[in-house]
Order: sequence, then C-alpha cells, then structure tokens
Amino acid sequence: MHHAHIDRFAYQDSPIHRLDSRIKLIIVLVFTGLVVSLPRTSVAAPLCYGLGPFSMLVLANIPLRFVAKHILLICPFILVLALSCVLYDRTPTTVAFGPFLWHMTSGWLRCFAIAVKYLVSMLALIALISTTPFGDLLVGLQRLRVPSPLLIQLGFLYRYIFVIIDSAHHMLRARSTRKLRFLGWRTELRVAGAMIGSLLMRSLDTAERISLAMQARGFSGRWHTLSTTRIGLGDWIFSATAFTYMLGLSLIFRPFSG
Amino acid sequence: MNKAIEMFDFSYSYPDGTRALSHVTLSIERGQKTVLIGPNGAGKSSLLMAIAGFARGSGKILINGLELNKKNLKAIRAILGCCLENPDDQLFMPRLRDDIAFGPLNMGLAPEQIEERVNEALSTVGLAHKADKAPHHLSAGQKRAAAIATLLSMNPEIITFDEPDGSLDPRNRNTLTGLLKGLSQTLVIATCNMNFAYAVADRTVLVDQGRIIADGHPQTIMCKRDLMHTHGLEVPLVPE
Repeated sequence: MHHAHIDRFAYQDSPIHRLDSRIKLIIVLVFTGLVVSLPRTSVAAPLCYGLGPFSMLVLANIPLRFVAKHILLICPFILVLALSCVLYDRTPTTVAFGPFLWHMTSGWLRCFAIAVKYLVSMLALIALISTTPFGDLLVGLQRLRVPSPLLIQLGFLYRYIFVIIDSAHHMLRARSTRKLRFLGWRTELRVAGAMIGSLLMRSLDTAERISLAMQARGFSGRWHTLSTTRIGLGDWIFSATAFTYMLGLSLIFRPFSG
Repeated sequence: MNKAIEMFDFSYSYPDGTRALSHVTLSIERGQKTVLIGPNGAGKSSLLMAIAGFARGSGKILINGLELNKKNLKAIRAILGCCLENPDDQLFMPRLRDDIAFGPLNMGLAPEQIEERVNEALSTVGLAHKADKAPHHLSAGQKRAAAIATLLSMNPEIITFDEPDGSLDPRNRNTLTGLLKGLSQTLVIATCNMNFAYAVADRTVLVDQGRIIADGHPQTIMCKRDLMHTHGLEVPLVPE
C-alpha cells in the first residue's frame, strides 16, 4: 500500500537538502522558540519571521500545495484553541496598519496571532522534515545527545506506523466485504472494539518478532548507528545567515515583550 | 569438523503445551543448502527458531561444534543469521543503510569495515542504489533482498530462511533463487513452495507433526508422489 509520507520530498537534492541535520534541527528549534515567544497580540511580526522558512521551502523545491495540505491537516486543533480566545477576551481594541484602522476585540487579535504563529511554525517544521530524511534526523538528534531509548522509540514509530496503518486498512477492507447492513450502534461498537483489540495483538506479535530479529543480529540493549554526518562550509554559511536573520528580527520585534 | 548444525533428540512445546517438535535428530553439513518442506503447522518454523536459539526445548543443538546455550549464544549469533518470514519484521531501521549496518555495528567492527560490508551486501542483492531509502519505500521483492543483505553484512557461516519466497512474483522468486544458489554459506530454508524448494535444495528434509519424516536428495524425496501427497504436499514441476 502506498502512503502519503510527510518526508516524501526529503530525498530530493538541493542546497537545503544537503545541509547537516543538526544545523537544521537547532535552527528550527530556536526559530520556533522565537516565534512562540513573540507578543500575544502580534500578527505582523510572525509574518515577517515566516519569510525565512518560506525561502527554505522555495529553495528546496517543495511544492507549496503539499505544504498547504499539511498545514490544513492539523489546523482544526489550533483553530479550536485560537477561537476560544474570541469567547473569553472581549476587550475592545484598535489595530493600525499604515493608514488603515480596524476596531475589534482583543480576543480576535489573539486568535489571529495564534493562527499566524501556527502557520509560521508549521512552515519551519515542514521545511525541516521535507528536506531531511527521517534517518538523518535521528542521527542528528543522536549527535545532539538526545537519549538513545527515545530515539529507538521514534525510529520504530516512523518505521512501523505505516505497517500498522496497512493492517488496519486490510481489516477494514475485510469487514466491508462482509458488512452488508448497519447492525446497530451496540454491535458496530463491539466489532470496532474487537478490531482495535486484534490490531493491538498483531502489533504485540510484530514487536516480539522485531525483538527476535534484533537479537539475532547481536542486539544486546545498546544502540549503535552508522553516522556519516559532517558539518561543512555550506552549513556554517547557512547557520550564520539564519542566525543573523533571526537576530535582526528579534531586535525589531522583541520577543517576551507582551 | 564438517558439521554446521547438529540436533540430538530435540523436542519443543509451545507455552500452551502444544508439541511443536518431537525428538528431532538432524545433522547438516557445512555449505549444504537444506530445504525443510512440510505442510502448514508441520514444525518447520519451530525447527528454524530452535536452530537460532529462540525456542528452548529438551535435547542438544550444536552450531559449528558450539553447544547452543546461554553462554555461547553471543558467539553463535555471529555465526548464524536468521531471516524471518516477514521482511517488515527484519527491516526495523528508518534507513536501509542503517539496517544493513545494524548487525556489524553490534559485532563491534571498525567503521571502515562496516562501510565496506554494507556496500558489499547491498551490491550482492542488487540494492546499492536504494541504500539511503526507507524500507517502506521498497517493493516486496526488494524488501526480501534487503532482509538477506542485513544478514550478509554480518558474514555469517549459516543462514536460516523462513518462507523466503512468500508473496513474491515469479520474476522476484527467480531472482531470489539465483541469489540463494549463489551464496556459499550453509543455508537452511523452510518453504511450502515445492518448485522453489526443488530449485534451491541440495538436500530436502520433510517435516510433519514435529517429526522428520524423510531426509535425502531432493529428487529422491520430492518426486515420490505418494509420500508428498500423504503429507499434503505436491510434486514439483521438474524442468526437462
């Protein structure tokens, strides 16, 4: 079965793809931290920050449609949070943009600010994931001394989530071939519960077999990886540019200031 | 010493009490390609699990003269590679190159040596161009080949395969047959596909109900129509 992998463009070649995963990870982390810590009602500032990851995506030839699709995929969760601000903060306020003036409540302003911050942070995250194969990300995290058990879990999650999704699809297909009518909520829920239980049992079986495969290849609890990453001149130039850009923006739009 | 695997009166039962292997005595020469045939539930996979040290029962197993026990297990893991039925279980790393390197890294080899082994194993199975891909981006045939490469990189003397031809189309099956025939290691292969078994085997062992029923040259065992039919098997289509 074919899945729409979030890292499907990570195997392309571009100057951004060739950067060391550690550099990209650190920059995206610092960037997201700065965006999140911008004033709660600031809308223009995060938009200016957005230029950075947007340029990365364009340089890396990542289709903007793909980016938009993934941003929209998670937006309902953020929208619930953003719209809740509208309900509890009804203080009237005036927003100025050049010669234009708008009257609205602080709640709406915060709602926009959250939405824009989400958009910009997602741009940065997608720029990272779409230009770095997951294996390289794990190697980068390992080099940054992230604890090994956490990396093992992340690696397995990425490797087996698709296997489990395939299993679930096969079960649903098998059910639909025999399901000729609606059986009532109670029965339907019982069937769904049995299917989830069966999926869990299959996952446990798979986990057991993976454990055997690992033991058969000498695994004794210590995790080793073949890491070949090296920070080169391009990485230093990219880091210098990114940090200058972020420093410049944080001097103009002070984070933690409201 | 010319024996790769020796089993003496080995019996094994599942935790629920079902008898999987019953008084199995078997001896496999070095470099021999032995194919275990038998119906579903005959005990073929259990026999492979026992050889790999994952099914502990009564009796004695020697791998390259080393007794299979807790003390020798680490040394035996370096000698014996075990290829599971589902390649998705075998390929657990996010990138193929890392998966192939997993065994050599655990063996404590030097990075240059590991690199060399990884490249060699990938070339042997024809997947050098997929080294940096994630396993879920490979086709069924490529996954099977990759699973074999994960073992070849460890340079084991013995490799066991559980249904390696499962869910492969004829072209991929032929590629796999060529690959297995080209390996110099001692191979123990469990399969239900008689044509595949006939194409690969130097020796055939018929297993049913946890016992060894017949053991010998593929032609002498697999061409006996009555014997094959009695145990729910079919006679292979032998090419002219």
